Amino acid sequence: MKRGGLQGYIIKRLIYAALIAFGVVTITFFLLRLGPSSPADKYLANMSARTQDPAQVVAAIEARYGLDKPVYEQYIDYVVNLARGDWGWSFSTSMPVMKLIQRHWVYSFQLILLSMLFSASLGILIGIYSAVKQYTRTDYLATLFSFIGISIPNFWLGIMLILVFSVQLGWFKTFYDTGLPMFSLANLKALILPVITLGTGMMAGYTRYARSATLDNLRKEFVKTARAKGLPERVVIGKHVFRNAILPVITIIMFDLSGVVFGGAYLTEIIFGIPGLGRISFNAIFAGDYPVVVTITLIGALVVLLTNLATDIVYTWLDPRIRYD
Amino acid sequence: MKKISSKVGGLKNLMFIGALLVLGLILLLDIYLVDKILAPLEYFYLFFAILVIFYGLYPLYVNRRLTKYYWERTKRHRLAVFGLSFIAFLIAVAIIGPFLTQDPTKVNFEEKNLPPLGFSIQQSVYDLKTGEFVTRETPGTWKHLLGTDDKGRDMLAMLVSGARVSLQVGLLATFIAILIGTIMGVLSAYLGGWADMGLMRFTDIMMTFPFFLLLVFIIFIFGPSLAFIILAIGLTGWTGTARLVRSEALSLRTREFIMASKSLGASDARIIFRHLIPNVLSSIIVIATLSIPAVILAEAALSFIGLGDPTVTSWGVVLHAGQRTLDIAWWVAVEPGIMLFLTVLAFNFLGDGIRDAFDPRSQL
Repeated sequence: MKRGGLQGYIIKRLIYAALIAFGVVTITFFLLRLGPSSPADKYLANMSARTQDPAQVVAAIEARYGLDKPVYEQYIDYVVNLARGDWGWSFSTSMPVMKLIQRHWVYSFQLILLSMLFSASLGILIGIYSAVKQYTRTDYLATLFSFIGISIPNFWLGIMLILVFSVQLGWFKTFYDTGLPMFSLANLKALILPVITLGTGMMAGYTRYARSATLDNLRKEFVKTARAKGLPERVVIGKHVFRNAILPVITIIMFDLSGVVFGGAYLTEIIFGIPGLGRISFNAIFAGDYPVVVTITLIGALVVLLTNLATDIVYTWLDPRIRYD
Repeated sequence: MKKISSKVGGLKNLMFIGALLVLGLILLLDIYLVDKILAPLEYFYLFFAILVIFYGLYPLYVNRRLTKYYWERTKRHRLAVFGLSFIAFLIAVAIIGPFLTQDPTKVNFEEKNLPPLGFSIQQSVYDLKTGEFVTRETPGTWKHLLGTDDKGRDMLAMLVSGARVSLQVGLLATFIAILIGTIMGVLSAYLGGWADMGLMRFTDIMMTFPFFLLLVFIIFIFGPSLAFIILAIGLTGWTGTARLVRSEALSLRTREFIMASKSLGASDARIIFRHLIPNVLSSIIVIATLSIPAVILAEAALSFIGLGDPTVTSWGVVLHAGQRTLDIAWWVAVEPGIMLFLTVLAFNFLGDGIRDAFDPRSQL
């Protein structure tokens, strides 16, 4: 395989990702303009304009934010501003949206990272174990538990955890303590319940994927070869099967970001009062602070886009069988 | 599945068109003559029922041998049978339940925070005689089998109402999503070229949005009403189906039987409706069954964070109320969650069973 092939592939993927990002931005812009109330109304509802003539205030706001221009000019302004890093002004918190995001993203990040580590490691281990012991009682139990994990609504699980461990037993606080230093045991302890809340559903999903991927690989010829040449079962499973089974599971984990993780993190942050992006978007919704809501939706989409891109590229690099065309 | 149509023939189509006409007539009557017989959602629902009867139940009834075959295969999945029976029970509850239970919106502060029957809690109650708050033992009563919430509303009635909402949302939104996805997928595969490119890139863009974030964004802009929530979920949730249908249709398009009917002069529409769609139908049914729980959860999550329709009592709304009174009345948060959990579990079990039953390669 030629080196140029890989570079060409990466460049192609990058251009494609840029196009998708452009599409995402366009869709959010037109969704906003399609809404029944204009952005100026939303501003108005949040400015104490009772003493003045509302029509004048609306006109002033529209002029200030360029909302009186024709739609295509607004659209161009919007895209240009986004590209320049000017993502709007959050009036419920009185700061640029970007600054708000900078202040809060790390809370979402730590929650999502820990949950993914927790669910992926445990899920893959249980999945492989369950596949190796196929049709035993352990396997059935693991399958049943993965069904339960997939079906349990994660926000309800969060409430139940609070009910049992915080309200009844008093082991944890009912609300996340933001004053704790990021790298401390106390912070880790405060994140235990949120991580279980977010991670259980994901873990159950990964258990199923890992189980079926392992089962697929166990039937392959190379496993027979490995066993025939007298390798201990530990090496056959731990090295040959594991390495082949893990790739598709990791892809699924990365692609999961879009559907499961963001929605789950949004709800988890609201339940536990973690001031991450989900929580500030939630607050912004009830304050009518639409630049924040738009930005967080966009950020979600962009993170998904970048992870998918990274997964694609890393995958081609990890797996030499993939051809780039 | 494609043998069905030849047997049934014209009569069924006539009856189907007749049923649609009747529905249209009611709609006309409703708009021009009488002042509102049904809410807009009910029309959705009637239309859906007609489709299910003519394209789901009727073919199964006519083709009893095939029905029996599928049933035999599904039956071997014990969990799928459990799922099916729970869903049947839930549908029955959703249809007749509201006539048997109390009014789920009736507020009664004298009976607030009553635990389910068999439980008992200490709480401070306003004494009507002395005009003071006294701490008193409040046991569960027969009148409110599953207890009441902090406004004295009957939990059982609220759960029954929630079952109705969840099923409405789950079935209708999935139906819309599947419909759009199928149309997109078939068009994309069949037209090819630039149309395929455009449709698939649009699908990619839609897939990039985190589903729940997009949903929240749309509800934030357009405002929460049940009909709109259903529409929003339907309009955003079709991407997976579109991809699946496209890939299946692409592989079908080059198969011999489609080539044969093409060379016999069949029109594109005939090939799509008589050959393509019936053959991807089993995959569509599987993906539909598995996406119903996701939709139900999405609605519950929206209601739970306070973005649901404020005029309906859904499980998410009850759960939201329950979270506030967690330290006094645990059952308000526990009960709707259990219903939600069981419903989602049942659909997941059923979906898994159906997938295995429809997959001719799987050996049960």
